[in-house]
Amino acid sequence: MKPPFKLRSFQTNIVFAFALVILMTILIMGVTSYYVSRESVQSNTQTYTTELVKQVNKNIRSYINGMMYMSDLAAGNRTIQEYFSATSFKSLEEEKKLKESIVDFLGSMLVSRTDIASVNIFATSGGRFVTGRAELERNPYIDIEEMSWYKDALAAHGENVISSSHVQPIFKGSYPWVVSLSRELIGRDGRSLGVFLVDLNFSVMNDILKDIKLGKRGYLFIVDQNGKLVYHPQQQLIYSKLKTEMIDRVLVTQSGTFTSDEGKDSRMYTVEDAGFGWRIVGVSYVNELAANQNNLRLSFIFLGLVCIVIAILISFYLSQRVSRPIRQLESHMKEVERGNFDLHVPVPKTIEIGRLARAFNIMVGRIKELMNQTISDQEQKRKSELSALQAQINPHFLYNTLDSIIWMAESNRSQEVILMTSALAKLFRASIGKGEELVPIRNEIEHITNYLKIQKMRYSNKLDYRIDIDGSIEHILTIKVILQPIVENAIYHGIKKKRGAGSVVVKSQMTDTDILLIVEDNGCGMDEETVRTLLLPIAKRPEGRGVGVRNVHERLQLYFGPQYGLSYASSPGEGTTATIRFPKKTAVPPVGE
Amino acid sequence: MFAYRLRRPAWIVGLIVMMLSLAWFAFASWPDRAPIRIEIIIKSTDDSIEFWKVLKDGANVAAEEFGAEVKVTGARSDADVDGQISRVEEAISRKPDAIILSANDFNRLVPVAKKVAAGKIRFFIVDSGINADIARSAVATDNVKAGKEAGQALLDTLEGPADVAIINYGSAGASLIDREKGVRSVLDEQSGIRLLATYDAQGQEDNAYLYTKRAIAEHPELRGIVGLNEPTSVGAGRAIRELGMSDRIRLIGFDSSINEVKLLEEGIMQATIIQNPFQMGYLSVKTAVDSVRGKEVPKRIDTGSLTITRDNMYEEENQKLLFPFYE
Repeated sequence: MKPPFKLRSFQTNIVFAFALVILMTILIMGVTSYYVSRESVQSNTQTYTTELVKQVNKNIRSYINGMMYMSDLAAGNRTIQEYFSATSFKSLEEEKKLKESIVDFLGSMLVSRTDIASVNIFATSGGRFVTGRAELERNPYIDIEEMSWYKDALAAHGENVISSSHVQPIFKGSYPWVVSLSRELIGRDGRSLGVFLVDLNFSVMNDILKDIKLGKRGYLFIVDQNGKLVYHPQQQLIYSKLKTEMIDRVLVTQSGTFTSDEGKDSRMYTVEDAGFGWRIVGVSYVNELAANQNNLRLSFIFLGLVCIVIAILISFYLSQRVSRPIRQLESHMKEVERGNFDLHVPVPKTIEIGRLARAFNIMVGRIKELMNQTISDQEQKRKSELSALQAQINPHFLYNTLDSIIWMAESNRSQEVILMTSALAKLFRASIGKGEELVPIRNEIEHITNYLKIQKMRYSNKLDYRIDIDGSIEHILTIKVILQPIVENAIYHGIKKKRGAGSVVVKSQMTDTDILLIVEDNGCGMDEETVRTLLLPIAKRPEGRGVGVRNVHERLQLYFGPQYGLSYASSPGEGTTATIRFPKKTAVPPVGE
Repeated sequence: MFAYRLRRPAWIVGLIVMMLSLAWFAFASWPDRAPIRIEIIIKSTDDSIEFWKVLKDGANVAAEEFGAEVKVTGARSDADVDGQISRVEEAISRKPDAIILSANDFNRLVPVAKKVAAGKIRFFIVDSGINADIARSAVATDNVKAGKEAGQALLDTLEGPADVAIINYGSAGASLIDREKGVRSVLDEQSGIRLLATYDAQGQEDNAYLYTKRAIAEHPELRGIVGLNEPTSVGAGRAIRELGMSDRIRLIGFDSSINEVKLLEEGIMQATIIQNPFQMGYLSVKTAVDSVRGKEVPKRIDTGSLTITRDNMYEEENQKLLFPFYE
């Protein structure tokens, strides 16, 4: 088994591909969902801010409404009218009585109202002054006519005037921050009687506002109709111009939302009109609107990493599964490469690899079959050659010939001895040759000519022969020693058994593709049965006869294919024709098929 | 591995680009850096001094805005120099990112300040500096300028030849030294004005009160008094009120408090030069944060001063300065 992780391997590619796909998916999903959730967080924040601002508005209005209620009560109070419209009183007693009832009246408004700093009425002329908090003393150094709440009230002619937050210095020793409601009291005759003043402790509002946080840095502020800041957590910074607030835009916005264009520090303003000139403004920083935006992003990344790790593990497992059978197959192939064909690859369950394994098994089987055939073909060929060789040096033929030579020598027929010995020598030279398998037809002709010469000397009057080969085919290649066994057969089994002389004719024919060498004799011939069995495999024949002929046939077929070989035609008493057929083109002899 | 990469650049580049973008994504969203820790050592932890309360407010607003952790410690009083030195030592031992000091003594805090600046802690000055140029930035009122304003305010109310007395609180603090310098630079040049030797109240309002009484008795030509800070101004005012001398003596003070407001209203004090402690606190922390985060910071930041008189004391923008609103 190879190490599981190797670059360029199938497995690595799968792992990489998986990681890439997952990474891409996570990236796209992450970015998309991040922006989508950012949108939703943003709109949620906006809704939240708007709700919050409305709530604050409600709270503040309830205070202001309470003050307006007080002012309405005061404006409609008869005693107040009487006291402040009187130019003179019957007695000090009466004046004191009236004043005390007003003090009681104003004081009753303040019962359990720590949020109200004071309730007072200042006469426009004559210096009369009543306060609901009896313990308060006028600050002698302050001229109330200089106070803006006083001037504004007179200018508003009986309408309620809500001031911005300011320091109220009119009482001795205290300088509280208040929001003032002032109202001119007008007598039944239309004369200005005085100014009614309620001071709301600003700390009440401050307490409401200071703890409100919009996001990490966001805040709330209040501005009045003149653009003066009623409340701002960083009022000092604004006065000293270290910070700016988009007051102008707030003032033209009745209610609604707008965003300042300050790049990274852009702020979203949510404006709500309080109804009495104030605007309550929620400010949130756009870049932190989604306070958990980062957490979101981090969790996406964390999830992404987890996914990638899982993906890599899965892809390892998967690629292992895919590549294991492939590797198995590969190791089997190696085995085959080494020459072991006796194996059977187990077929895995995976369809594709299964098919591959099956095809591989079939292929190996086929190769094995072919190899076996080749081996047996070779074996056959060797055997045939061996027997061809044996046929060539048939010892009977040799010693018969040698006997004839001796006999001729004894008879001093030296001319004939020379002839025969030279023919024998040529015969052997032609049959042995240079050891090559294929020889030109010319060789065969020479071979058979010498053979027939010898036989003619031996059976001088019993044998005639004729060799009639077309000169144009002499160069064509054929296998060795194919004519001699046939001619031998014709002589020993045809002519010799016949009464009287016989003749052997060796001739040639040529078709478009094939060469035909024909050996005719006019010997005793064969019956059909003998013709039929003549060319059967050696083992299937009754006796050893015709071994040479059979060998020629087999060799021709082994060399040139099954359609070539030897064929016999014979009729008893008339003679036999043997035809050798082989292809004209024999550049390279095919092995097997 | 490398050969493999060369063979498949598109693949690897794609992978790397994606990894990088993921990394960028992660980096961009990393939670804010750890908060910057800043120690502020003020002159006095006496809660009755509004100045320091407002300065702390400003520092806290900045701390919240810029994501810093601010710890404020200080000497018991302006005269407690040793106490302040040990506060600085303690602060160093806590290893903050920055120390902001308002020095009680122009000279005696130099060694310990050098110790701060020598380490990794960034050193800043708020309100009152030291006799060494080692702070990365000094956030303070330009006290010479403030002193000149006081001198001018006094000049505006004086008629004819006059003796003028300056009451100092303890001559060690740099801010007071500068103020006196400012006051003197205006009044010295004036004909008909004789500057008396500066009185040193030694950190006690009562001393200022007593010295004023004495000065009024000793110098019949005394027409003007300048108190260099809140206690000296109030002490002098008390003396003038008691002696019923408000017609004769013109008083110019520094800083603000309810008592000073009363003096203004009563016409005993003609003007007070106020600083902007909120801005000092805010800007000193902001500057320290900026510096820690690697930004260039200006060597000096003037938080400005303002002349408050009876006429402008209730103006909207001055109210917040004169009547700090506590939460």
